[in-house]
Amino acid sequence: MASRVHARDGFVAHVGRTTLETARALADVRTWSPLLVAQMRRLGVDSVPIALFIAVFTGIVLSLLSSYIFTGAVPFYFVGALVGKTVMMELGPVLTGMALAGRVGASIAAELGTMKVTEQVDALETLAYNPRAYLVVPRVLAATLMFPVITAFAMAVGVTSGWITSVNLLDLSTPEFFKGLRLFYRFKDIWFGLVKSASFGAAVALMGCVRGLDAKSGAEGVGQSTTRAVVLGCEAILVLDAFWALVLL
Amino acid sequence: MKRTNEFAVGLAVLLALALVVAGALWLSETDVNKTNVKAVARFRTVGGLGVGAPVTLRGVKVGRVEAIRLVEDEWVETEFSIDKNVELPAKPAVVVASASLFGEWGASIISYEPPPADPNLREALAESDRAGGDAWPGATLPDIGQLTAQASRIAGDVGVVTQRISQAFDSTALKNLQQSVKDLAVISTRLVGFANAQTTRIDRVSRNVATTSDAFAGVAKTFQNAVARLDTATSDNQLRDILANGRSSSQDLRQAAADLRSVMASAKANEVSLVRVIQQADSLVTKIQQGNGTLGMLATDSTLYRETTATVIQFRELLTDIQAHPKKYLKISVF
Repeated sequence: MASRVHARDGFVAHVGRTTLETARALADVRTWSPLLVAQMRRLGVDSVPIALFIAVFTGIVLSLLSSYIFTGAVPFYFVGALVGKTVMMELGPVLTGMALAGRVGASIAAELGTMKVTEQVDALETLAYNPRAYLVVPRVLAATLMFPVITAFAMAVGVTSGWITSVNLLDLSTPEFFKGLRLFYRFKDIWFGLVKSASFGAAVALMGCVRGLDAKSGAEGVGQSTTRAVVLGCEAILVLDAFWALVLL
Repeated sequence: MKRTNEFAVGLAVLLALALVVAGALWLSETDVNKTNVKAVARFRTVGGLGVGAPVTLRGVKVGRVEAIRLVEDEWVETEFSIDKNVELPAKPAVVVASASLFGEWGASIISYEPPPADPNLREALAESDRAGGDAWPGATLPDIGQLTAQASRIAGDVGVVTQRISQAFDSTALKNLQQSVKDLAVISTRLVGFANAQTTRIDRVSRNVATTSDAFAGVAKTFQNAVARLDTATSDNQLRDILANGRSSSQDLRQAAADLRSVMASAKANEVSLVRVIQQADSLVTKIQQGNGTLGMLATDSTLYRETTATVIQFRELLTDIQAHPKKYLKISVF
């Protein structure tokens, strides 16, 4: 038990140390800036399909579920309000973050873990490269910048799929759905979700980097690091979700 | 490869940015083309009204709430954007109210003249109007929560009353009530019988009335004939003559009455003398009846009558003798 607590404290300290070192490495723009766009493409643009796939079915399920809840009790146009609010403020950012935690976090942890166990990270240091600036900063920045972009697409697609479902599968007209969508809309609904998703991106990438750079013991260690990165990324998303709800709502 | 990455990332970022901006503008119904005009209304409270809430005119949405702010003197100013093509009332006012049971609030534009019938609403609008300035007068109706609280209080009162009634209606009261109901049923039965009897009588009376009515109809017909005759008489001036004679007779009667009144007055003036005369006459008659005095003797004694009769006989014999022998009694000589 004591060793677990010690290990947890050690991990927290390790994450804090890595974060501080990454922040310091931000100053080494020459090292990370050429790599940023490639990472944005790999972590962001290439993740759009999976995010949209999730968003489509989220919208469908939400509209059907809300119509099931509201039948006979609440006006039907509230389906639009529920779909809009839920997709923009919660399910869009969180489900996208979870999906990307699996895809991006695992990808980063596996890539950096392999580099670590094959001593490529040591080689970078030998070549006078700062591994934080070269490996961590571009990935964390790319995820932080691209998660909101992906989430914005997910929001739009989720609302659209909810609208199409409501019109075609439910007894709801387009004006009624949009009336509900606009009913309780605030601009905060959008930026709240985007801010959250940016923090999710930073956390997922950082966990992937931390766990990847901690990989030991060959391929098995890389696998374990990858698994831990995904789990930690998902946990970080949920903790941050509650944090932003407390702070911003 | 690097350019491909840059293009893909740039495209994704730009698309996401465009989606966010366009979506935000569309959802917030921002007036990009400046097709709206601004208006400000003043309230004591705006209830659950929020930015983005609909503004309606006669039930049609014509705008939205743009801003809500606290101002001095404990007022709340609300800024609206309203479609500039909408024809507003000459003196508009705004009423904020709950639009549904689910937390929706809306603002309705109404005409301040004439003021609304609700006295509370009228007073709130008048107070807001008295504050002056360019802001429209505004008032807020109670929300659903207040109404339900009021309804809950009423329901509580009803419950108390019901409890008291249940306490008042114990088993004895219930038996009395049942007995009363039975008595009422008996009374009702009697009333029905009475009503039936009265109905029979009323039917009979109705028939009598109908008969009487027929009789009256005959009388009316007769009267109509009389009137027709009267019309005929009127046309020959007979009625006028009758009326003139009547008027003349009336005047004569009036004169006679006046004379009678005069006579009566004189009689009243001579009443004492008359009484005395009557008394004297009465005394005289009494004496006569008693045979006192000359007249009494004349009235009661037949001697005078016999003497007078004998005298008359003698006088008649004398006249006969005179007629037979005038020269015996008359001697006429000329010169």
